[in-house]
Amino acid sequence: MSIVAKVIAQSDEANRFLSSAELTKLQSFFDNGITRISAARKLEANQQKIVDEGSKRFWAQCSDTPSNRGLPEKTALCQRDQGWYIRLVSYCVLAGNSKPMEDIGLDGMRDMYVSLGVPLANLKIAMRCLKEIAMGTLTSEEGTLAAPYFEQLIRAF
Amino acid sequence: MQDTITAAINPADEKGSYLASAELEALKQYFQSGSLRVKAASQIGASASSIISETVAKSLLYGDITCPGGNMYPTRRYAACLRDLTYFLRYATYAMLAADASILDERVLNGLRETYTSLGVPIEATLQAVKAMKEVVTQRVGADAGQQMDVYLDHIISGLS
Repeated sequence: MSIVAKVIAQSDEANRFLSSAELTKLQSFFDNGITRISAARKLEANQQKIVDEGSKRFWAQCSDTPSNRGLPEKTALCQRDQGWYIRLVSYCVLAGNSKPMEDIGLDGMRDMYVSLGVPLANLKIAMRCLKEIAMGTLTSEEGTLAAPYFEQLIRAF
Repeated sequence: MQDTITAAINPADEKGSYLASAELEALKQYFQSGSLRVKAASQIGASASSIISETVAKSLLYGDITCPGGNMYPTRRYAACLRDLTYFLRYATYAMLAADASILDERVLNGLRETYTSLGVPIEATLQAVKAMKEVVTQRVGADAGQQMDVYLDHIISGLS
């Protein structure tokens, strides 16, 4: 559900047309639409680089972690998940809210990683590294739009 | 409810992919039409009751429907008609903002024809009213935004027909 759907659902709940505050909110969402598109494109184009460089930075800070134990299959799986989180950030940037992240990547996430034996504390560091590398690939305007969703990820872990 | 952004994201996620270039291009056009949509929603919201009055005057007021034996008589049913037309206008406005008709289907159209038939609400008169609403709305919001509203008011018409 995008910010547009969310605001509409709120109004519908209250049986009214959109308030001027809600309309202003949507207007500012639409106003930086072009930046949202370019941020999404760059996250896609740089996904591999963000994951590769993010992993190096992560392993430098946290060497004893499942993705760094010399098991190529395990490493590939961890990095695949990291790539997925970058994709979810791109969805959120386009949707203007964190609902795609919550619905697709956070609901049940803890249970899954605990069951996989991947320490959440390590993942938190990994996500922070992904954010740092990702920010380097975006302009400051694009970064401002994407950062909150990386922050949300870091908090969630 | 679905909106045009979610409608692009969900199938992309099913495939584990980013949005394709054509989808991003479509979203770009949607974002660029955002000001038009927000302005129209604001104008419609601010003058909804007068839009409805004018719609009724154009389509229903001077016919038999408002007289004894008609479906807009007595006042209770007249008010119910105003209420329903206001729903149509509000949900069409939501759909126009979202650039997606699903909220109209979910909240208004599913089962509406059957409900009207069982209540004896004349479908033909309802369609006349929605057609009149299209004209009134376009007068208020201008041709470009009117065209966007037409998409969703036409959706109501085809859903009821």
